[in-house]
Amino acid sequence: MKITTEELEGGITKVVLEGRLDIEGAAAVDLKMNVLAGSKKSLLYDLQKVTFLGSMGLRSIVVPAQAVHRHGGKVVIFAPQPMVEDVLKASNISSIIPIHHELSAAIAAMK
Amino acid sequence: MPEKNAHKAKARLTLRSQLAELSRVWPWVDALAAEYNLSGETRFAINLCLEEALSNIIRHGYRGHPDHSITIDFTFTGTSLTFTIEDRASHFAPTESGDAQPAASIEEYRPGGLGLQLMRRYAGSLAWELLPRGNRLTIGFTVAQAPGK
Repeated sequence: MKITTEELEGGITKVVLEGRLDIEGAAAVDLKMNVLAGSKKSLLYDLQKVTFLGSMGLRSIVVPAQAVHRHGGKVVIFAPQPMVEDVLKASNISSIIPIHHELSAAIAAMK
Repeated sequence: MPEKNAHKAKARLTLRSQLAELSRVWPWVDALAAEYNLSGETRFAINLCLEEALSNIIRHGYRGHPDHSITIDFTFTGTSLTFTIEDRASHFAPTESGDAQPAASIEEYRPGGLGLQLMRRYAGSLAWELLPRGNRLTIGFTVAQAPGK
């Protein structure tokens, strides 16, 4: 599991995840995700290259999102693959973290 | 390579009760998916259900004790495929547990409970049996084979 970041305008940090967000993948990114949540204003999760998402992976993206919300920031999910998006919907996470497939719409939703 | 014939094929994977052992499940499922020409959606559903079931057994059933065993038996009949997971952990009765209540807001989200909810969503069938010592979980999937073969 890989994680990289890119700073966008407006205090938005794009968090690019790549690989399987299974138990092993979640453990690999948890620390960095929590550091980002504590230090960045708003997070845009880029899930284009995430090929699997299980319940531990869900935890890895929602718990940092809660921290961002607590300090007044916003979090959106960008461009998940269909099966990953289905997990987000089946778990109702899509109702508490918005999903966008256009980058411009994702950024606009965070302003 | 699993034993295979026209009516029934079987394969078995035995794991120790450690989360690190889950890394052995992916290549096993990938090999079965290739062998039986399973679609990407079916492979995704299998991996999701096995990860949730096995991690529950390791974390909650065996409570982190690392030296117990878990067996996974795969059966393919041509129209359906089944994974039967047996452990010797403490008894688990999931029918007593409902799905997690969806959080109304991100502040209300509480981790936990989603694994079972996802299994119910992605498995074709789920059946738990209490054994004299341990549990047996049977997870069924309807076969959706990849196109072109």
